[in-house]
Amino acid sequence: MFYLHLKNELWKLFGKKRTYIGFGAFLIAQNGMLLMFRFTHWQKSWERLLAGNGYLAQDYLSALTVALVMLIPQIILLMPLYTSLIGGDLVAKEAEDGTLRMILSRPISRFRLLLVKWIAGIIFSAVLILALGGTALAFARIWFPWRGMFIYSVWPEHVFNLLSAGAGTRLYLLSHVLMTINASAIVGLAFMFSCFNMKPAAATILALSFMFINLVLEHLPFFEPYQEWFLLYHFRVWLLIFADPIPWSRLVASLLILLAFNATTFLIGAAAFQARDIKS
Amino acid sequence: MIELSHVFKQFGERLAVEDLTLTVPRGEIFGLLGHNGAGKSTAIGMMLGQVWPTRGEVRVCGHDISTDRGQALQKVGAIFEAPAFYDYLSGRRNLEILSSYTAYTAPARIRQVVDWVGLTGRENSTVRTYSHGMRARLALAQALLPGPEILILDEPGSGLDPEGIHEMRQMIQRLHRELGLTILLSSHLLHEVEQVCSRIAVLNQGRKVFEGRLSDIHTEPRWIRIKTSDFAGALKILRDARMVEDERDGEFMALSKDIGTDSVVRVLVERGMPLYEIAPDRDNLESFYLGLMTGKKQGG
Repeated sequence: MFYLHLKNELWKLFGKKRTYIGFGAFLIAQNGMLLMFRFTHWQKSWERLLAGNGYLAQDYLSALTVALVMLIPQIILLMPLYTSLIGGDLVAKEAEDGTLRMILSRPISRFRLLLVKWIAGIIFSAVLILALGGTALAFARIWFPWRGMFIYSVWPEHVFNLLSAGAGTRLYLLSHVLMTINASAIVGLAFMFSCFNMKPAAATILALSFMFINLVLEHLPFFEPYQEWFLLYHFRVWLLIFADPIPWSRLVASLLILLAFNATTFLIGAAAFQARDIKS
Repeated sequence: MIELSHVFKQFGERLAVEDLTLTVPRGEIFGLLGHNGAGKSTAIGMMLGQVWPTRGEVRVCGHDISTDRGQALQKVGAIFEAPAFYDYLSGRRNLEILSSYTAYTAPARIRQVVDWVGLTGRENSTVRTYSHGMRARLALAQALLPGPEILILDEPGSGLDPEGIHEMRQMIQRLHRELGLTILLSSHLLHEVEQVCSRIAVLNQGRKVFEGRLSDIHTEPRWIRIKTSDFAGALKILRDARMVEDERDGEFMALSKDIGTDSVVRVLVERGMPLYEIAPDRDNLESFYLGLMTGKKQGG
């Protein structure tokens, strides 16, 4: 029955046109990035940067390099927005539409209902991230060859590294697992707000506000020694996976914190949902 | 089948349901009446485990809804005012999704119920293409899929046109007759309740002011309706004969004790008064309900 309930939740999520409009928006944005990289001075500046460090640009300006360039702004800007929207809808939209009342006239427990919704949200996050990574790589491959990977990022983390195609592909895949954990943490946060008695838009706005406040506070000089207390600090491990050497201790600590954050938001949401009255 | 025992529900400062004790017996069509905000939907919410009682006990099919919700709702179907669906999915997919929250439902059972409610041929269309009546039938189908013994209908007639209301009434009677369901019907439509329910409860400001059989409200006729060419003249004749105590609306008269309509007819005919129609004015549900609301009647 659990599998059946999960399948139904996925039907509800993936049956909406809005889901695909979101995916479409991502495709347009990442192709915009690709065209900008290809046809502005951006590519030239990277060629100069590589040459200045003693590397041949033709060995490292590859599909993998450009796919990551396409992904960075999307993961930082678009992904939180979109996953907050999905997470905010999971419970609150059903309550607003009245379908939640239909479901809860059935003998399913509230906890199980939330659990399948939450898992569906995480599966959605994984599909979204994999689709983004896959399409970024596919579109980048149209214009660029399959060669070594060059990673250069100044913000949100400083990373400079060169990898062989094989090592680059492995880390590219691993970074997607980490991005999925980030996305599921955002879905979980919006989901938690969505379990309270509020409109879906309010749940989305609260989740985005939470992250925005995190971002602002994290960059205030006063809070510099307390960076690890901020959620977004832990989100950046997906990029640090490309660093040399990989900061494994920070990576593991951040992963554990994100998993704990996910569990906490779920439990708070479940407790609020269990206590609340469902009325028309 | 449904028992509420000294149930209270408070939302903040407001007491929505106060000391409600109610029993819906097996096999009855039970009407739950009351104004907007009287506590009907809150009471139904508590029966379905959607609203937690502040105090008191709610039992459905013998199970406490607060502690054993899974068992209590196993044989319950519900339809709400303006039933909501996943409009972007087909009717059949909606039925699969909603019924799965009770138990796995075989495709053959879904076809059977779709056929029973008259949606065959349209079950694969998206719900957004359905008319109001088709949505009502889909709501009925989702309620019937788990094979319920109790059907809870919360304002099912709201928003329906007269034809829809007629269809709904026929459907309720058919469900009771053919499937033997116990039905709890919450409604504003007193005429509909009067036609289908065998037992009613009336709520006013969260409190039960009446519970009993519908036949109990039909009191002995004291008022009669008279149609004559000269109502004032007829009234004078009957008053002089000490047969009438009161009159209202230029059409109704209250007869004196032990006076029957036969005596009235005889006196008026003897005096040469043309009499076109005479009939007892029985207390109907509307007058009974309004009497309860204005405090002119005492609840049972």
